[in-house]
Amino acid sequence: MNMVSLIPPWAQHYEEFWDSIKARNSWFIKLRYSAVLMLVVFLTSTRLLFRISFTPTQFYAISSITLSIFLYNIILTRLQKYLKNSEEGFNPVHFSIVQMILDLYALCLLVYYTGGIESPLFLLFIFHMVIGSMILPRFVIYSSACLVIIVFSAIVFAEHFGLIVHHGIAGFLKFPFYNNLSFICVSLAVFAFVIIITVMLANEMANRLYKMEENLLDSLDKLNAAEIEKENYITGVVHEIKTPISAVQSYLDLILGKYLGPLSSEIETRLKRTRARSDEAIQMINNILKISRLKLLDDLGKEELDVKRLIGSAHEKLKMQIEAKEINFTLIDNRKNKRKILGDKFLLEIGFSNIISNTIKYVDKYGKVVITMNDIADGIELMFCDNGVGIPAGDIDSIFQEFFRGSNIRHKGYEGVGLGLTVVKQIFTKHGGTIRVESPSSLQDETHPGTCFIITLPII
Amino acid sequence: MAKIAIIDDDPDILDASSLVLTSKGHEVITANNPDDGYKIVVDNSPDLIILDVMMNEPDDGFFLAQKFRKNNITTPIIMYTSISKTIGMDYGVNEMVPVDEYVEKPISPAQLIQKVEKLLHKHIER
Repeated sequence: MNMVSLIPPWAQHYEEFWDSIKARNSWFIKLRYSAVLMLVVFLTSTRLLFRISFTPTQFYAISSITLSIFLYNIILTRLQKYLKNSEEGFNPVHFSIVQMILDLYALCLLVYYTGGIESPLFLLFIFHMVIGSMILPRFVIYSSACLVIIVFSAIVFAEHFGLIVHHGIAGFLKFPFYNNLSFICVSLAVFAFVIIITVMLANEMANRLYKMEENLLDSLDKLNAAEIEKENYITGVVHEIKTPISAVQSYLDLILGKYLGPLSSEIETRLKRTRARSDEAIQMINNILKISRLKLLDDLGKEELDVKRLIGSAHEKLKMQIEAKEINFTLIDNRKNKRKILGDKFLLEIGFSNIISNTIKYVDKYGKVVITMNDIADGIELMFCDNGVGIPAGDIDSIFQEFFRGSNIRHKGYEGVGLGLTVVKQIFTKHGGTIRVESPSSLQDETHPGTCFIITLPII
Repeated sequence: MAKIAIIDDDPDILDASSLVLTSKGHEVITANNPDDGYKIVVDNSPDLIILDVMMNEPDDGFFLAQKFRKNNITTPIIMYTSISKTIGMDYGVNEMVPVDEYVEKPISPAQLIQKVEKLLHKHIER
């Protein structure tokens, strides 16, 4: 069956569209319960307060209408769970239309049993139309507005011409005026006018609000897309830069490997420096690529991982450097709770090896590195402490910034570009963890203040 | 010694890799684009192919590797990559990409020789 689409064409963010319709639906359900309560009050107290009285027919009719509203509202409450956010099947818009029809029906009956044109309750139709305008598509709400006008007029005229019984409320009016034709004609004309104008205004405003929300979400999408494009561009450019440097390094390795013949030690020393400096460039490029990847990656891998093993494998990769400096490397595991963490193995390995290599870089020969693992509430705390050069107090707040290098290491021949710790911080934050730094560390002596990196990660 | 085909669009990488491999006594043939690369392999039937993953287009190397396998050329393939490990595209040696080894650029002579020898050895055993 080819049905007219109930979803406005500008609703591209279907989830948000459905959510707002759903929210309004459940709001109407709550409103209906209060309407039931008000009807009960109306039935029981108006007699005393306003000295009016209902005929037994009126009393039973209003009571059963109230009960029906209460019952179908319970059913609607239950039905809410089974709605599907799709154009096919029973969706929240269909649900709104069902509510609308039921309410109109109940209200028509209520108005009829409280006096038709004499009943002040017919003003509720206007209220009803405002609510409908907020959630229903334009053609549905305009059709129901016309239907309301026709049905209400039909009731009023049928009462006037004696086709149906008039149920005026006794004690309410001195002279019934349902039989005054010019009065009912003018009243109905004004009623129709008010209904149509109300629907127009309310529908226009609701649509404008929806569209504004849509535009906002749209702009957000565009911003995200631009960010991704930017990162892709960076990756591309950086990769282009890496290609020639890789070629240079391949030649340098060839020459340093003496494939082209012997080298004088003078030249060899300089070429080794050249190799080290170009390696610095490659490291920097790799770090930029890593950061870009982190920014592009919203969905991290979620593997169950053993932290100790991750640190172990990072240590293994850096073994040569650790042995070359003859560093005293210790791992202390104080944990009682050896639960795993959830995360991206590749990224966490980068994180740990960056931290360890950072530590190795800034300790002297025969230096000391101690990694301590502790239990904390809901997580694990890892302390990477060394007795290296430390970080000056004024630099502590900046060390995780891109391209920042400590003021005490810039001129002392420590190589680096100041991106490693930025990557590290991003990795651990993406995993719901934290990283902070303390200097001097617990391993300090007179000449070596040392540094501690303290990382926390949530456990499963 | 073995005959090795190197296919890469970077002339310096071709030169450097050729120098390393000829120094070990291998015969090296080169091509700087996928089409010529396919041709030299068909014409000379080398014992080993070294292939750059990105030539004119990213993935050129992968497509060429797949073309070799599709046409029943089972010669072992070493692939040069430059971003794989860095950005975590850990291709790995699997059935999707029909290559036997990876070497990440910049190419270290020692690593290249070691991987070439390993594959040639394996190939002869087979």
